[in-house]
Amino acid sequence: MVLLTNPIYSALSLGLVLVCISLFYILSNSHFVAAAQLFIYVGAINVLILFAVMFMNGSEYYKDFNLWTIGNGLTSLVCTSILVSLITTILDTSWYRIIWTTRSNQIIEQDLLSNSQQIGIHLAIDFFLPFEFISIILLVALIGAIVVDRQ
Amino acid sequence: MNSRSKRLIRSIFHIHRSSSMFLLYEYDIFWAFLIISSAIPILAFLISGVLAPVKKDPEKLSSYESGIEPMGDAWLQFRIRYYMFALVFVVFYVETVFLYPWAMSFDVLGVPVFIEAFIFVLILIVGSVYAWRKGALEWS
Repeated sequence: MVLLTNPIYSALSLGLVLVCISLFYILSNSHFVAAAQLFIYVGAINVLILFAVMFMNGSEYYKDFNLWTIGNGLTSLVCTSILVSLITTILDTSWYRIIWTTRSNQIIEQDLLSNSQQIGIHLAIDFFLPFEFISIILLVALIGAIVVDRQ
Repeated sequence: MNSRSKRLIRSIFHIHRSSSMFLLYEYDIFWAFLIISSAIPILAFLISGVLAPVKKDPEKLSSYESGIEPMGDAWLQFRIRYYMFALVFVVFYVETVFLYPWAMSFDVLGVPVFIEAFIFVLILIVGSVYAWRKGALEWS
């Protein structure tokens, strides 16, 4: 069953879901990840999804759609079972033990640095080579998209 | 005795929490900004809806086409050029996201990290020059 018939409304509600996920990251005291979630998911990926949705023909909306079919019942059963198994697993895991056993290694004056400063330090010193490879990946993506477009 | 101790506790509680919003105290200014910037357009629409109510009319609701009768559909064919611009934007946006943590820790790190970030930006400048020369940034 489809709640919104206009596909652009669906793409915008996906953007709303991604914004709400970033609020979860704020609650977990990881402000840089929340901002990165807003930047990457909402600002980049959701924009691309929106543009891909706009390629669809506007006049072919689902005018008269059957709300409940057999496939809908099957998928709702599968999704409910996944939800129940996730709830039982999350409630049974001892999260405090996991957090205490994975403390990060010490940087000098770690408590005086904010979250994104620590990420920047790790990115530049520990992960310097992946940092350069990221630029090459972005370059390859850009050139690949332009080459595909030229044909 | 019970109300006096309750009032004492409440007065102490008021001293510790001077003036803050509900949760996440360091985001106070952000919540205040969010509430005010949502309230002002809502208020504007409400007031104009009360002062000047809209009476819908089929002639009023038809689209304007420079005085003549509107012909054809209002939806144009989506061109691939729009998607190319979105893609180039996304690539450089992701590059910007990687530059933000480097910029935050710039004063702690030294000159070698500056040169690494310079190489990062240089590789993407090569990509932007390629996109420019291949005409991906042409609008017409």
